[in-house]
Amino acid sequence: MINQTPKWPVFVLGSVAVIWIVPLVGIIAMSIRPEGEIVNGWWTIEPFTFTLEAWREVWVNYPIGRAFLNSLAVASFATILPVLFAPAAAYAFHYLKFPFRRILLLILVNAFVVPNQVVIIPLFKLWREMGLIDTYWSVVIPFVGLSFAWSVLLVKNFLSNFPRSLIDAAQVDGCGHLRTYFFIVLPNTLTAMAAVGILQFMWTWNSLLLPMLFLRENATLPVMLSTISGTYEPNWDQRAVATIITSILPLIIFLFFQKYFSADGKNNSGSKG
Amino acid sequence: MSVQHGSILTSQTQAGPFAGLATRLFGGNLRRADWIAFALLAPTLIFFSIGVLYPLFETIRVSFLDWTGLSQPKPAGFSNYIKLFNDANFWNALRVTLTWTLACTGISVFIGWSVALISGLAPKQTAPFRVAIFAAYGISETASGLMWLGILQPDFGLLNGVLRIVGLEGWASPWLGEPSTAIWGVVAAYVWTQAGLPLLTCYAAIQAIPKSQIEAAHMDGATHFQILRYIMAPLSLPGVRIAIFINLLNSLKAFDMIHILTAGGPIRSTETVGYFMYQESVVYFKQGYGAASTVVLLLAVIVCSIPLILDKASESK
Repeated sequence: MINQTPKWPVFVLGSVAVIWIVPLVGIIAMSIRPEGEIVNGWWTIEPFTFTLEAWREVWVNYPIGRAFLNSLAVASFATILPVLFAPAAAYAFHYLKFPFRRILLLILVNAFVVPNQVVIIPLFKLWREMGLIDTYWSVVIPFVGLSFAWSVLLVKNFLSNFPRSLIDAAQVDGCGHLRTYFFIVLPNTLTAMAAVGILQFMWTWNSLLLPMLFLRENATLPVMLSTISGTYEPNWDQRAVATIITSILPLIIFLFFQKYFSADGKNNSGSKG
Repeated sequence: MSVQHGSILTSQTQAGPFAGLATRLFGGNLRRADWIAFALLAPTLIFFSIGVLYPLFETIRVSFLDWTGLSQPKPAGFSNYIKLFNDANFWNALRVTLTWTLACTGISVFIGWSVALISGLAPKQTAPFRVAIFAAYGISETASGLMWLGILQPDFGLLNGVLRIVGLEGWASPWLGEPSTAIWGVVAAYVWTQAGLPLLTCYAAIQAIPKSQIEAAHMDGATHFQILRYIMAPLSLPGVRIAIFINLLNSLKAFDMIHILTAGGPIRSTETVGYFMYQESVVYFKQGYGAASTVVLLLAVIVCSIPLILDKASESK
């Protein structure tokens, strides 16, 4: 083959990628240097003192461990529920005929237009009346509700590649719809469920607006981060540490799964054609 | 397709234990299969109704009330909307929203698309750079905002530091504290988090181009630039299109990044409609007024998504 890979894209994209790396390097540098050196510029080389003092201070001054667990609980609940329920809804919409089917589906899949800002005030009043403020449910319910706008369609599109013959075979063998769903379709939608789960976990872990308004004692990491950065103290080292703690889990998940995001949904149902 | 099959499947259902109740509820039209359908849908519909539909209708209802939180709500007709369009601050928010969404969407898609095209020429060698740009998409806006303070902070931020080192001290500026530059500082940080998405969608479209097509062009003597311009660019347009929509909607709805970096200031120069709503309803307790501005935001999102809504209408058979 003739020379098909030129050199210049590597240099061009390498310099673009630097812009993406520098803020990360900056936040790591700020988290391991004393405040006194940061205010002269985190990028300065001399003098360089390595310290984990900021990590200790964040731990002592703020309930950051608890915020981590709160984030974990909120994101886990808000992820498990759509992963369990979206395939059921997708199955019903895809394979069953029932009254109001089309209008329900249209309302559901077009709810992606609803911004978080629309739900905050009515839900705040509702949660206050029901005594749900500062409980996980106050954020999990809207997170789960908003997720169905995209998760049901994602699984439903996945089902449209699912071999029809398997469903028909199950029906011929005497499976009802519930059994077909649980034993034939559900085990084969794991790829779609994983996609829903990863996207939803990242989105709920990272969001600020709803937890900021509905949670107080049970603040999540982004809320804690916004509190720490809202102080007027010179605490740049501590802000950097909190930023790293907030980002580390989604970043690991993201790097681990990034190659699957672009991969097309092949299903391994064992059926040809 | 699915409808035809569905009718075959549902025709073989028999009356179940709840058929009696169902018959009474739906006048005899509800079969056992319908019951199963609603049982499968129930959790989705319950969460969706409480978490989305109820707040949606409640916001629209409140936008027609004169309600400041402490007072008793009074019916107010369209007065909140009339007040809104006579409010200089709201017009400012509309103007900021326009600049913000166009800049964020345009720059993110431009960067993402360009990177995807260029890396299409050397996919293997540029893989780590794509991962680096894409990874920022996984970091929260709150954390990304703080990372960008390390660049934009006036005293020890990298940008001013570099300007001082290269002798351009006069150009150093409190980027986020200056009304004329603050919005561009927030745009830069937001684009940093959002460019990964167009990169992903465009690169996927480029990967889908058959290898033989590009090899044939090489054989015919096409240069790298010609392959990029006449094969990859046009064939990646579906990826560009979907990225434009997603980034447009994301930036219209943006809140976290603005909240963490500037909180709408200085002098409302970064206050989009999505942030104006928060100020009016949460900070100033003007519920009816805030709700009216939220409805305007919702309408803006709906108008921008009309092509997507039409897509989904045909897709959701």
